[in-house]
Amino acid sequence: MSPRLSFADFLLGLVGTLAVLIAWEFAARGGFVDPAIFPSPTLAAQSAATQVSGSDVVAHIGWSLYRIVVGFALGAFAGVVIGIAAGWYPFARFVFGPLIELLRPVPPLAWIPLAIIWFGLGEPSKYFVIFLGAFFPVVTATYRGVSSVDPVLIRAAQTFGLKGIGLLTRVAIPGAAPDLATGIRIGWGLSFGVLVAAELIASERGLGFMIMHARLLGNVDVIVVGIVLIGVLNLLTDAVIAVLIRRWIGRWHEV
Amino acid sequence: MRRYLGTLLLFAVLLLAWEYATTNGYLKPYRFPAPSKIARSLFELMTVGFPKDLTIWVHTKTTIIRILQGYVAALAFAIPLGFLIGAAPTLEKLTNPLIVFGRSIATLSLLPLVIVWFGTGELTKVILIGYGCFWTMISNVIAGVKYVDRTLIAAARTLGVKGLELYWAVILPAALPRMFAGARMSLGVGFMVIVGAEMIGTIEGLGALIMEARTFYRSEVTIIGMLVIGVIGFLISSGLMRLEKILIPWDAGLEDVRR
Repeated sequence: MSPRLSFADFLLGLVGTLAVLIAWEFAARGGFVDPAIFPSPTLAAQSAATQVSGSDVVAHIGWSLYRIVVGFALGAFAGVVIGIAAGWYPFARFVFGPLIELLRPVPPLAWIPLAIIWFGLGEPSKYFVIFLGAFFPVVTATYRGVSSVDPVLIRAAQTFGLKGIGLLTRVAIPGAAPDLATGIRIGWGLSFGVLVAAELIASERGLGFMIMHARLLGNVDVIVVGIVLIGVLNLLTDAVIAVLIRRWIGRWHEV
Repeated sequence: MRRYLGTLLLFAVLLLAWEYATTNGYLKPYRFPAPSKIARSLFELMTVGFPKDLTIWVHTKTTIIRILQGYVAALAFAIPLGFLIGAAPTLEKLTNPLIVFGRSIATLSLLPLVIVWFGTGELTKVILIGYGCFWTMISNVIAGVKYVDRTLIAAARTLGVKGLELYWAVILPAALPRMFAGARMSLGVGFMVIVGAEMIGTIEGLGALIMEARTFYRSEVTIIGMLVIGVIGFLISSGLMRLEKILIPWDAGLEDVRR
């Protein structure tokens, strides 16, 4: 999707980022903004390090990632299966199409109260909210991809005698792969977006809990570190997924 | 027509089965309130309100006003800034990592920080919505301006268009479809964020309504609130799509603009 970065572009980006970080650092240290309210990156990291131990932070990261992976895997799986079914079989489209259209505009966060009512305050309600974040983008993208595969490809395959499941798995799904990939990446991003809210539900672990708890203690440094950590994790994991996807669909499509 | 009839029939069957299952004890009424109960509560919400005097109209109005405030503020910053960055390649390269990172920050993770700064009042909600809308909008404006077809620019140059006129007469119209798509997407983000923002420090607004309803064991009110948010979101996004077709007839349809 994005063209390869040249070294000069990378350098320019680095310069821009450093300029902002230095200006921020300078403003916080020079007393232009109150560090207790808006700490600079190094100040926040330093004082956060004295307030939470490294192993705690690692544990929070682990819990958050675990929840996202579980919720996302369930959501993406359900999305792919239902999306393929609805895109391929008219009856499945008849049943799932209107239901998905009805529920899709409801933001995942709006399900939180219902998630608590249905699943209680434990882990499953968090998985469920993250599940929804992943499910809707994946199901709509998969559906669109499978139902809009080039008819020429399908007819050509039929001429060669492919039909039924073979036609689906060997022509339609590879043909829909780019759409599927987009859905998966958007779904992953949304899963991260709802993580914090999901961890607001009676949680005592995870990055979302860490920053919310830090607010109660008035600990701005920990909050800032937590926000940055969530952002960095989102960025890194998205990059990994992008590479994996490129490998997967590179077999059929130019990327 | 027949297609809609089938869909209607499907929903009717589902609703009847649901009603039957709750009234006969197959489903717990608290977990899956019967459709008839939802309908009764909807009437109550329209007339009496929940909590009392806060009718569904009041909640809806509050939520929409909050979203619009944050949304308009975000667009007011994002459009000129994005245009500037998109038009200046060096500036674009300097700021690119910052914009990617800003977009990667989960808007709701800012909630505790914004509360520390501005308390739990209206400003906090508007800022969160604004933040979420801003990054979606600015990345689309930049992309729209940056990826204007080079042939268009070259052709305009050949015809003697230059300077500001090039931006006004060629680049802006060519970037508009993408900008409009960005505007639509960021409104979606606004709807997403508002629910989280309204979970704290308020009893007014649809997000607050669904949360409050749960604490009072009124699951049917929660469901109504969810559906209302969904319906409004759907109406606005399809309305914007219509508007887009009218305002930008040269747009060939950017169905799959990537975020």
